[in-house]
Amino acid sequence: MLLYTLHENFNRKRKRFYTFNTMTNNLIHKKVGIPRAISYYNNYPFYYGFFKALGIEIILSDKTTTKIINLGTKYVVSETCLPIKVYVGHVVNLLDKGCDVIFIPSIQSTDYKINNCSKIRGLPEIIRNVINRPFTMIEPTLDKTENINFYDFWTETAKAFGITDKNQIKSAINSGWRVYNNFIEMTKSGVSYCEALENAINGKFEKKTVDLVKPLSIAIMAHGYNLFDERISLNLIKKLEKMDVKVYTSLSVTREESLKAIENLGEIQYWANELELTGTAAHYLLNNKVDGIIALSAFGCGPDSLMVDEIAYHCKERNMPLIHLTIDEHTGEAGFITRIEAFIDMLMRKKRKLLDKKHKQTTIQTKSFEEAASIRKSKVLTGSMQ
Amino acid sequence: MKMKEKLEKEKMGNTIPAQNRIIAWPRMGRIDIPLKALLVSLGAKVVIPPPNSNEALEIGVRNSIEGICLPYKLNLANYIMALDKGANTLMMFQAPGSCRLGNYTKMAQKTLKQMGYEFDMVIFDMYKSKMKQTLQAFWHVTRCINPWRYYKGFSLGFNKFFAIDTAERLLFYTRPREIHKGDAEKCYNKWLQIVDETNSVWKAKQLKKQIIKDFKQIPIDKNKDVPIVYLIGEFFVLLDPYTNQNIEKELGDMGVEVQRQIMFGDWLEHVLKPSIFYRKESHRERSVRYAEKYMKRAIGGECIETIGDTVYAAKHGVDGIIHISPFSCMPEIVAQNILPKVSKEEDIPVMSLVLDEQTGKAGYITRIEAFIDLVKRNKLRKK
Repeated sequence: MLLYTLHENFNRKRKRFYTFNTMTNNLIHKKVGIPRAISYYNNYPFYYGFFKALGIEIILSDKTTTKIINLGTKYVVSETCLPIKVYVGHVVNLLDKGCDVIFIPSIQSTDYKINNCSKIRGLPEIIRNVINRPFTMIEPTLDKTENINFYDFWTETAKAFGITDKNQIKSAINSGWRVYNNFIEMTKSGVSYCEALENAINGKFEKKTVDLVKPLSIAIMAHGYNLFDERISLNLIKKLEKMDVKVYTSLSVTREESLKAIENLGEIQYWANELELTGTAAHYLLNNKVDGIIALSAFGCGPDSLMVDEIAYHCKERNMPLIHLTIDEHTGEAGFITRIEAFIDMLMRKKRKLLDKKHKQTTIQTKSFEEAASIRKSKVLTGSMQ
Repeated sequence: MKMKEKLEKEKMGNTIPAQNRIIAWPRMGRIDIPLKALLVSLGAKVVIPPPNSNEALEIGVRNSIEGICLPYKLNLANYIMALDKGANTLMMFQAPGSCRLGNYTKMAQKTLKQMGYEFDMVIFDMYKSKMKQTLQAFWHVTRCINPWRYYKGFSLGFNKFFAIDTAERLLFYTRPREIHKGDAEKCYNKWLQIVDETNSVWKAKQLKKQIIKDFKQIPIDKNKDVPIVYLIGEFFVLLDPYTNQNIEKELGDMGVEVQRQIMFGDWLEHVLKPSIFYRKESHRERSVRYAEKYMKRAIGGECIETIGDTVYAAKHGVDGIIHISPFSCMPEIVAQNILPKVSKEEDIPVMSLVLDEQTGKAGYITRIEAFIDLVKRNKLRKK
């Protein structure tokens, strides 16, 4: 009796989760479509290197436009957050292009007990049930909590293309890392996202050696798929750069730095993409490199609501200005700009006041007021003051 | 090494001696009756916060952030009310890897400390080796070393859970069929009190039989044609009658038999018992089996249960499904996206209701009435 129960339990447990679908059709695909959303923004260099090494052609969907967002909105429930709507739009866009093999990974957890948002975990489930068209979906799972690690993830992907050779997969993973590391090195030195991506894909490696000093610097805490998508973020980075502001994003902070910053702030990492948000913000909050923090999140985002609140609490304690910008598919550009401008103006005024105080303390005895003012003006304009 | 530090961080310091502890926990439906029995038999003092109400919700909303889900707001309100009543130890379970639930305790601690309360929070992690974690948490709180008391407490608690579940199931069955309106409700309330007052193991074991016997005496119309509706969705919202605006009663009064697949006792049994000791297929396993066509992986929360139950219901002659979830609940939004397809392919009417603190009762009931009309017509047509 006991043996029977044991056996039954064992069988049940084995079947419990993740019964992977084995590919039934023997067609070997030579093309793969990658939607330009969610994991594309952080992992595309890796995907490119990997698929290129296996000899698979990548088809990308078009850049996000209002049309694509509207396309996605048609398919899903209205409560779904903007990034997922955009993702569905991109998948439909790929199908319209004639690509019928689409790579939709399900990244469940990136470390033990560190999970992703449910919607990102369930991306393949959403796509499968929402789009009623025949197409092949490549849906590998990465779940380190349940011991499905990085290597398994890519073996499963390669299996869908009929590749089972271990060495080939390993070398493909290595070439993926090569492209990805180049990309990260470049962005860390200050190259912008688009440039770095282009360079990494073309095999170029360029570092920025000269760093321009600007009067204001700001850190943005946001998911990669919100911030680097020019339509979703309404070109936030370029807008800020036009206003003469130096922008720091999650790309300029390494993984170790952000992990350490979270620890120093007295928090525990809970979400898989917390490094992009809390990690970045915490890093710049602790080293006093920036004058303010901008939090950009989609409306109704579950993890963001907690992470932004966490940072807001610490910002209040340390007297760091923070603005929380929420975006959805109806966000008007005019209102968005006004809010950013007001925030930048406020930071400017604050900094000027601080410099004023410093000058008064040091220059009153030696120089006349007018002279000091002229020096102050020139220094603020050129931005040489720290 | 890092993992160990992290786990130690999660566990709270032991600042209050065991004999001075006054324990409280967040409310969810009838959970307070069995938990009270368990803790009292371990020799602890307990405080039960007042039931969830508009006043509690107001306190919760005032002190929590905008984007968080409804259950957290109520939990926080319960903590505040209990602390005001004199509690100094708060208990809560945690399940990382599900959804925002894993962050509840962390946030609540911070908020309460900011408000100036002094307390101890004991968290037990419901991820693997659950029985050990639970026992550890209760030992940590009470410092009780007598094994007989543990046996008494746990068997009392479990039996009370099962008794309440049985009473609830019978209530759902009897309510639409009763001849004198209000009989079933009265009987249920009477038994709740008796369950609460029972404090011997032997008596607690008899409760289930007695409840069945008592409910059988209520005169019912057995030949009445009653449509069956499944109630599925998020765990807290399903179990808490304040949050779901007593949807079970509304449906029962409309002449509909409600069946709820998530019962706290069942859930607890499958979660706490080591897997060797039960041979029945648990609710979750059944859901995974049935949902296979639509979902291939669990994505946290009760998403897979929702889908699995819908398919199960369609295959077992249930007439309709009402899916309820709090606003901005991540797993249930995924479920909402999947449900239309399930409904179409399995041919079963499904309605999704989203609840938040501003849900008006009138609009809510209109929607339910319209849905029930649809279900009834559907049933007639099938005949």
